[in-house]
Amino acid sequence: MNVKSIVWGLLILVLLLMAALPTVMVIAFGMLPGMVAFIVDRTEERSATFCVGGLNLCGVFPYLLELWTEDHSLEMASSQLTDVFVLAVMYGGACMGWMLYLSLPPVIASFIQVMAERRLQQRRKTQSDILKEWGNEVIEDANLGAGIAPAPVAEESQKETAAA
Amino acid sequence: MAEEPFDADKVDSAAPPKGGSIVLRDRFLISGDKPLPNLDSPNAQAYMAEDRRDFSRDLFALVCSPGIPPRTDAMRRLKSDPGAGALELVDWGSAFWPLIGRRTVVIIYERPLGGRVFEQIKNNRARINEYDIPRKIIQPLVAALRHMASINVPHRAVRPDNIYFIDEECQEIVLGECVTSPEGFDQPIMFEPLERALASPAGRGKGSMVDDMYSLGASIVVLALGVNPIERMKGEDLLFRRTNMSSYATICGNARVPILLLEPLRGLLSDTPNERWGLDEIEKWLNGLKQTPQQKKAAKKGDTPFRFGGRDHTNVRTLAHAFNRQIPEAVRVLKDETFHAWLKRSAGEGDLSDSLKGFIDTSAFHKDGMQGSDEFLVARCCAAMDPLGPIRYKGVSVYVDGLGPMLAMEVIRNGNVQILTEIVLRDIYQFWTSDRAVFMDTVEAASVFAQVKAWLTNNVAGQGLERALYELNQGLACQSSHISDDGIIFIEDLLPALDHAAGQVEGKSKPTDRHVTAFIAARFNEDILPHLKALTAQKESTSVIGMLSLLAFLQWKLKAEPVYGLASWIGGLLGPAINGYHSRTTRREIKREIPKLVRKGSLPDMFDLIDNAEKRQEDQNGYADAVEEYAISAHEIENIEGTGSELTEKAEKIGQKAAATISIITTMIAMTIMFITEML
Repeated sequence: MNVKSIVWGLLILVLLLMAALPTVMVIAFGMLPGMVAFIVDRTEERSATFCVGGLNLCGVFPYLLELWTEDHSLEMASSQLTDVFVLAVMYGGACMGWMLYLSLPPVIASFIQVMAERRLQQRRKTQSDILKEWGNEVIEDANLGAGIAPAPVAEESQKETAAA
Repeated sequence: MAEEPFDADKVDSAAPPKGGSIVLRDRFLISGDKPLPNLDSPNAQAYMAEDRRDFSRDLFALVCSPGIPPRTDAMRRLKSDPGAGALELVDWGSAFWPLIGRRTVVIIYERPLGGRVFEQIKNNRARINEYDIPRKIIQPLVAALRHMASINVPHRAVRPDNIYFIDEECQEIVLGECVTSPEGFDQPIMFEPLERALASPAGRGKGSMVDDMYSLGASIVVLALGVNPIERMKGEDLLFRRTNMSSYATICGNARVPILLLEPLRGLLSDTPNERWGLDEIEKWLNGLKQTPQQKKAAKKGDTPFRFGGRDHTNVRTLAHAFNRQIPEAVRVLKDETFHAWLKRSAGEGDLSDSLKGFIDTSAFHKDGMQGSDEFLVARCCAAMDPLGPIRYKGVSVYVDGLGPMLAMEVIRNGNVQILTEIVLRDIYQFWTSDRAVFMDTVEAASVFAQVKAWLTNNVAGQGLERALYELNQGLACQSSHISDDGIIFIEDLLPALDHAAGQVEGKSKPTDRHVTAFIAARFNEDILPHLKALTAQKESTSVIGMLSLLAFLQWKLKAEPVYGLASWIGGLLGPAINGYHSRTTRREIKREIPKLVRKGSLPDMFDLIDNAEKRQEDQNGYADAVEEYAISAHEIENIEGTGSELTEKAEKIGQKAAATISIITTMIAMTIMFITEML
């Protein structure tokens, strides 16, 4: 992050503080969990940030709307930020985001694992059928690279070759 | 009730009891119980024969010895173009002869009612004085030989005991048969021209009318005298004497030959082929025209003898003959100066001596090679010493145009074929073919040898020694161990014989051994090279398909009858060909179909089943697809299995991404709904 970006950032912040201090206050306090998620999430994809930040924003947004449509003042912002229920909604959204982030990947992983197992079985069966119909010479002619283990030899095919 | 005659034309029918009669071509009844020994040939027994369509004909049958290749080409020509002056060849064929229990060639001839001329003269039942000889003996024989010359069939069996009276009154003379053995094979040495008599009987060569003229001359002497003047002289002694003194001097020397015949006999018995009387000269003489008298020429002789091999030689031709029998001793003599001194001073062969020394020097130069061997040196020297004689090599003597029958006899008798093949492969024959232009077509002889060499050096099935054997001997029966007893000489009889042989086959032997393939290649006038190449393939499946395709082609082209036994035999050998298909389903289908086709006896159908191009293509394509599919599956399996926890990590990452996506989408939907609600 270079100096230019910091200067621009500060300039925008000052302008925002001057123009919409109540909104900045609500966002700054309400989006704290999202910011924490942004800080702790060091992955390239920033999945935790998007997941927590997204639902956190979902909890903050109704009060921002209230602020923008009813009374865009410091009093209104203060009363919202001092209301436990409001904070519970804001941070509850973030909490749901964390829960979603922590619980969904294992579920998805298990699903993918099952799918992969099933695909593996299908492929193995295909190989076995091929060997049964076309014989073990397929393995040689398939010219598999090192490290790729051939499928188990079909017994029937072996018997036929031996009989011939 | 009389025993039913056996149909001899069927190759695959069961053998009848011995001693029965046979019917040839559904026409000629040959009675095995009625032999005619007075009409026997040296290699064929005579039996009474009847034409069932014309009982008035007097016929007899000659049953050839199975071990001797008859002259089938001559039979074809003589049958299609019978001429006057010779026994008429009525018909011929291959037939099962019960007395020997195997097939052989049977020839139907017109029966001479007056018996053998020589015997009748000896027994005083026929009287022919010296003035009758030209008109009664020479004229009909010359007419017969003239006809044979016109159809390019030298008789090569003119001898007194092969000349017959065709009529009971013993007035009309005819020449006997000449087809039951190779050319000159049955001729006693006395009746063979000297240059051919020096060869082994089987290797005397096809010869020409020039050779028949000599035989005619020798036969006239015997018939004119009523006795053989040199009856007691046999074998080597006779050859030695003829070479030293000339044939005319040997045969007529001490005999009281009628003066009238001296002139033709001197011409006919000449030992120089290009000076010998031909048909024109003898016909002129018969017509009373005077010929330039031929001088009695003695063979070139040395003043003092040279002792070798227990004989005193005065002539280099006899020495050449002896050298071939004792090679180490011959080499010693050839390198000895005493011999060369004798050649120059006594024999007057200075140039020959120089040539021989040149050969010895060449041999010394190539001492480590084949050209440096004693056998090669002696062969080369023999050619120079007797350029008109037979090819001499390692003790074998074969005339330039006699390789075929000689080869056949050696194969039939399990003799030494190696020497004959060496003559061809080492170009030994070229020592002789270069010196013969004076009286025979050496270009033709050399081209035959070149062709034989090409066969011998070709490893493709249907070539090799066997091909040369059958090409050079059109009358030779197929020598395959499967059918050697069947005496198969025609290609049409081959499949029925193999069909018959199928029942006795043991193990996994193939019907197409080297003899069968060479026999087919030599006798079947179709392009079968692709089949033969397939048959020779190293890959067993290709070889088996080649075998099947060849025999199927044969059956299809010859429109042969179904061959159930052979189909079953081949069916048992098709394993490798069936395994040529990759698809197990196709293999099973083919295996299921084979018994049905065996029951049909159809080899073309069997071939179509085994090597159907469409099916083969489908199999190839299917196999290629299977290999590709297998490889794709293998790679996919590898990707799925990955390396341990990689899949879990991958799944977790996907889960996290999914959670983020769900979160963002939910937020956006919720925000939109809230915004819209607020706006309303």
